[in-house]
Amino acid sequence: MIGEKKDPRKTFGAAVSAMAEEDKRIVVLSADSGFSSGFKEFAKAHPERYLECGIMEQGVTGIAAGLATTGKIPVFCAIAPFVTCRNYEMFRNDLGYMGQNAKIVGRNGGFTYSDLGATHHSLEDFAIIRMIPGVVAINPQDPGEIRQASRAMIEHDGPVYMRIGNPPIPELFPEEPFVIGKGRMIREGSDVTLISTGTATAAAIEAANALAAEGISVELIGMPTIVPLDEEMVLASAVKTGRVVTVEEHYAHGGLGTLVAELLAEKHPTRMKMLGVPKVYATSGPYDELLHFYGLDAEGIAASVRGFLAE
Amino acid sequence: MEKKELLKLELEAARCRRNVIRMVEASHHGHLGGALSCLDIVTALYFYKMNVDPQDPKKADRDRFLLSAGHKCMVQYAVLAEKGFFDKKVLDTYGSLGTHIPGHPDMKKLPGVEANTGALGHGLAIALGMALGARMDENGAKVYTVMGDGELAEGSNWEAAAAAAQHHADNLVAFVDFNGLQISGKVSDVNDYSNVADRFRAFGWAVREIDGNDMAQIVDVLDAVPFEAGKPNCIVAHTVKSKGVSFAENVAGYHYWSPKGEELQTAIAETEARIAELEKEVQA
Repeated sequence: MIGEKKDPRKTFGAAVSAMAEEDKRIVVLSADSGFSSGFKEFAKAHPERYLECGIMEQGVTGIAAGLATTGKIPVFCAIAPFVTCRNYEMFRNDLGYMGQNAKIVGRNGGFTYSDLGATHHSLEDFAIIRMIPGVVAINPQDPGEIRQASRAMIEHDGPVYMRIGNPPIPELFPEEPFVIGKGRMIREGSDVTLISTGTATAAAIEAANALAAEGISVELIGMPTIVPLDEEMVLASAVKTGRVVTVEEHYAHGGLGTLVAELLAEKHPTRMKMLGVPKVYATSGPYDELLHFYGLDAEGIAASVRGFLAE
Repeated sequence: MEKKELLKLELEAARCRRNVIRMVEASHHGHLGGALSCLDIVTALYFYKMNVDPQDPKKADRDRFLLSAGHKCMVQYAVLAEKGFFDKKVLDTYGSLGTHIPGHPDMKKLPGVEANTGALGHGLAIALGMALGARMDENGAKVYTVMGDGELAEGSNWEAAAAAAQHHADNLVAFVDFNGLQISGKVSDVNDYSNVADRFRAFGWAVREIDGNDMAQIVDVLDAVPFEAGKPNCIVAHTVKSKGVSFAENVAGYHYWSPKGEELQTAIAETEARIAELEKEVQA
């Protein structure tokens, strides 16, 4: 039901576990992280396909690559910085360069591990993973997309990185099959294009509604796939509105905003504003307050769009 | 193993050593020392022990070999070529643009290569994943890897070592090519792993030590796997860096070799003389 809030980790774990009942190639890997990634029941039901390794994300990434060479589909979910930054060379060489069919899921992404501080925030995961050739990067926006993207991720033949958060998030859209690389036109508009991804999309919808009430016509695109980017949708909208704002729970630069900027710089130079976290070690505190502090709640996004249009 | 069979394996090794030198002839450089120190081991794996088929390199139940110390890749290319995985003419492209045998192996470019190794400290974890996958498939396959002694300083190896014991991967066999030398000098002066056997034992592995350039000892230790049911297998192989090229043996400077003066001709002559000698012995 639209608006109903669900736990992203449990949603993801349940989706993959259901697929694994049918597809015996699916093997779940844990770095002391599986139970909190929604795989507690799967671990009990299928101990032979649940490999607990302890807190060793570099090693688990290598093990995933080795398993994939034997035709398994390893799924490894842990706290986002530890499956992107810590194991980066294993991700690059063992999964990317070797082209292995493994699925890495960073949970508690962005700063959803808000008060645990910068060690546990993940604000550069897409910036670094996008540089590994051949890796698909997905950032679902609501529980329905998490469910459907989990399926799409398993069905895709090749390495995938998916980010999910932690606090419950609302269902935003009617559930439909997830197509990797396809953006979602959430509302059409003519004054400015707003492109959001992941957890930022719920706030972006609210911001777009508030701006509409003021007479600002926002074209809102939800972008649940970071790599490959839906270039066609971005370009068409940029041509239409002439102004583009990106918003993400990520560093403002290096992720979605940068990908959009690179595309537009080459194909259709367009005035842009990139919203996200400035390049600092983010402060800690309650999640909602952090979003507000960095201008990533509906109020902050709306204010930034207003300011951009007034420039 | 009978003397004659051992001699035949030694002859294969001698031919593989010549193949290594052939690659250096083509490129005028290469990681010689490590390629030659573990060459007898890799030869025994492919010509004596492993269930592999050059005509069907991807067959599902094959044993797997990956070279964790990927810079020693000339040994892998030399043995795969000798075994018939690809045409030996490819050896003459070593060091050239777009070659199928780059300075670290690439599984997409050459049949028989199982992993893109060479960034040190990756191979053991990948090998463990392969071993666990083979065990799930219940196909009896074993996974072999060769690690360098200098490589052991990479902490990621020990993540994999611990996990292998935890998961009782007794179909995993890790050789440590203990030639005792790395780029900066003696391993014992850089980061001393002389007690590597004890370290692997402490991690829950079954460990043997052998002379890794003695074919009889290599064959015997391979036949003894698994050393203990439920434990991963480590073989600390004491070897001679650059084994088989007299002027380079046990000299750290030949870790990476750019031949000078008459060196290349000497290496060719020595490796060819060894082949001729063994061919006579085999025929006798």
